[in-house]
Amino acid sequence: MVNSEHMKFRSLINIFMIFIWLCFGELPATAGIVTDKLGRKVLIPENPQRVISLAPNITEIIFALNSENRLKGVTLHCDFPIEAKLLPKVGSYVGLDLEKIVSLKPDLCIAIKDGNPKNVIDRLESFGIPVYAVDPRNLESVMETILAIGNILGAGERADILVQKMRSRIMHVRALVERTSHRPRVFFQIGAAPIVSVGTRTYIHELIMLSGGINVTAGDTPYPRFSREQLIALSPEVVIITSMERSDVFEQVLAEWNKWPQIPAVHNKRIYNANSDLFDRPSPRLIDGLEMLVKLIHPGLSGDKK
Amino acid sequence: MNPAISVNNLNYSYGNTSILKNLSFHIQRGDFFIIIGPNGSGKTTLLRLFAGIISASDGQIELFGNPIKNYTRKALARKIAYVPQTVPIDFPFTVSEVVLMGRSPHLGMLGLEKEKDLVVAKQAMEFTGLEHLAHRKTHQLSGGECQRVFIARAICQETDIILLDEPTASLDLAHQTRIMDLMEKLQKERDITVVMVSHDVNLAAMYGKTLLLLKEGQIVSRGKPDEVLTFQTLESAYGCTLLVDESPLGRFPRVTPVPGRLMKIKD
Amino acid sequence: MKFHFLKRLLLVAFVLSILLAGVMFLGISIGSTGSNFSDVWRTLLMNKSADSVLEAIIWRIRLPRVILAALVGATLSLGGLVFQALLRNPLAEPYILGISGGSAIGAILGIIIGLSYFPGVSIMAFTGSIGTLVMLLIMSPGQAVLKKDSLLLSGVMVNAFCSAVIMFLISMTRDARLHNIMFWLMGDLSTADIEQVCFLAAALLPCFILIFWLSNIMNLLLMGRDMAQTMGVNVKIVTLTLLITTSFMVSTTVSYCGLIGFVGLVIPHLFRLILGSDHRILVPACVLGGGAYMVVCDLLAKILPSQGEIPAGVITALIGAPLFIFLLKRSRQ
Repeated sequence: MVNSEHMKFRSLINIFMIFIWLCFGELPATAGIVTDKLGRKVLIPENPQRVISLAPNITEIIFALNSENRLKGVTLHCDFPIEAKLLPKVGSYVGLDLEKIVSLKPDLCIAIKDGNPKNVIDRLESFGIPVYAVDPRNLESVMETILAIGNILGAGERADILVQKMRSRIMHVRALVERTSHRPRVFFQIGAAPIVSVGTRTYIHELIMLSGGINVTAGDTPYPRFSREQLIALSPEVVIITSMERSDVFEQVLAEWNKWPQIPAVHNKRIYNANSDLFDRPSPRLIDGLEMLVKLIHPGLSGDKK
Repeated sequence: MNPAISVNNLNYSYGNTSILKNLSFHIQRGDFFIIIGPNGSGKTTLLRLFAGIISASDGQIELFGNPIKNYTRKALARKIAYVPQTVPIDFPFTVSEVVLMGRSPHLGMLGLEKEKDLVVAKQAMEFTGLEHLAHRKTHQLSGGECQRVFIARAICQETDIILLDEPTASLDLAHQTRIMDLMEKLQKERDITVVMVSHDVNLAAMYGKTLLLLKEGQIVSRGKPDEVLTFQTLESAYGCTLLVDESPLGRFPRVTPVPGRLMKIKD
Repeated sequence: MKFHFLKRLLLVAFVLSILLAGVMFLGISIGSTGSNFSDVWRTLLMNKSADSVLEAIIWRIRLPRVILAALVGATLSLGGLVFQALLRNPLAEPYILGISGGSAIGAILGIIIGLSYFPGVSIMAFTGSIGTLVMLLIMSPGQAVLKKDSLLLSGVMVNAFCSAVIMFLISMTRDARLHNIMFWLMGDLSTADIEQVCFLAAALLPCFILIFWLSNIMNLLLMGRDMAQTMGVNVKIVTLTLLITTSFMVSTTVSYCGLIGFVGLVIPHLFRLILGSDHRILVPACVLGGGAYMVVCDLLAKILPSQGEIPAGVITALIGAPLFIFLLKRSRQ
């Protein structure tokens, strides 16, 4: 459509864009060559209409940004929100189905560093499909990821608002926690057999620290294992178990713990079940996880809310 | 005329053990040459040296006047065929496939057989009485039939010399004679030099034209059966009492071991 | 009846080539987005390009995968055949001399460090398997290389040791890498890329040719070392050549797509039952027939599950094990 009408239309759009920018400090959409979170240069379209999410957390973020109309494909385990389950599936995030992805004719794919196989990403690019990669390693970078995805999907302001909300919720939790100097010892169990907990370089550790607890299994090993003996020695005051499978698994694990009443958490009946998705998916729901943790670790504090 | 095989100061050691000590003798062309001796005398080792499977530690072996070292492996295979005592049968080949393999030394890498090769194989099978078993798998055959298959293969190899290591060792009487008759026929009709290691002194006496008696890697005696198979040489080689007389079947010796209980009665 | 063997060889090769071409056609026509037989026909015959996305799917995703499957099936079947002949043991298969153990350790270490599949993990896997071969050759002094039993025993020991190391490495890993490791161990043909497949073909085809060239000698080797030697075969050199070529061939394949089992064990027996023991016919039969078998297994791996894919190695085991038992029974009769 190369004619003067088009030119006029475009200049109007440009003025409008500048107006929006002045109001909200954000351009609606970034286009051209951008640098993704891994330092790769990616050529993304101005207004991506056919986006494929290559990981569950990315799907959640896209829905949270109300940009799901652009989303044309998700992975097998993208289950939040429920609507995500209705979208076409492109395999699991570790075993992506190249054929399916290509057949959906995407104009942009969003990938995650930890998990998506690099050779599939490379092949997607060899088909001329741009892949924007993110690498959320902690809360701060999760928020950066949300902003970045917002930028490329033309949901910049919504991303800003979302991130602001997340920050204020974090600050609120911080304020609550500052009211007490008590820092209970927390054991966060992510594996039933063998018993696996979390080290320093995980989201969970960050959330525990923010919610005013001490992660008894902090350390270099991201997912350390423990024997019963070591648990007794660690002597946690709060135990949180995330169940990735069925609920009866939690009952069994609880029964196991209850055999050791010398552990404070057992004695005081402070063993809780939690939804793992709130703790290991780098998405806005991490803040939900944080808030849940505060309630479990400091039950007295979260009584008064502003 | 060069002898088929001539051996000069042959020595063979395995590690520190000396198995053959300073052997010197020759085998005439067209001879039926049978090597006998007690266990451990080095008979099989000698045969394997002739076949080129192992090399001498010292000394010379010549085939038709040429040192064995000068032959390439394939050239040697066209001169000498070897029938070992046992052959592993792990995979089911048919009789005709095994016999045809004898043609390999005359063919290229892939062993693509021509009409002539098929004819030679057929003849070898007829000679050994195996035509009716051509498509049978080898593991379905009896011991005697199997032995004949490998002999047929050796015949198919169309060599001047055939070496056989104790071909009658595990066969019944009927098959023993049959095999020996076959070898005699080969030697007479086709002028092939047959060199055989045998446990059975009487078969050696019946069929052999020249015998070689070994003990502990050294020659005790070499010559015609009635020269080699005397009471003294046999007793010194085998270390036991034997009765030697002339066989009622012909002018060749008959050796009979003497049981312990009869020792006192013997002259 | 001139060249009767040649006629038989050509017939077998022709029939199996048609079979291979047929299943390859099926393979490129069927995928996770459905079946497109008519489109493939049209593009093949009339060179008319269909919708470009479909073209990309057929030629750049499905075709390399099908070619890879054929190459893998051919290599593993041929590897099994050669080891069965060299070791004179019907239970021999391409991984028996420690190749599976060594390459798995290399690959797992590569995945744990975080290398990309190609070339990183592949090179680690290849190094691992060649490393075990070298270790094996060093452990077996001189003549022992020719003694099939000691080679077999050493190989079994090496594999057992490697299994223990692998179990240890797996137990130490968690998260997505564990998933990647398990997928690698079960065999994965989905990473095919046309350039890499061409590179693989260039490495493997000379091996196939060399082994075919030595196929008659393999027949002779089965008669025993001594007899083979007296028929003009340099047993030591031939054994080493076959050992090294086959190990190289299998290592290359494994380093690219993981451990796919049962192909190398079953296919040689299958063809031996149908075609007899002459390796001059068995070698091309295993290459073509083994390739076709793998293409079919990969196809089933793609279409059987309603969502996602089963690893190809699972299919070959599910089909291969009962097939092998059946063949064992038949060969006894």
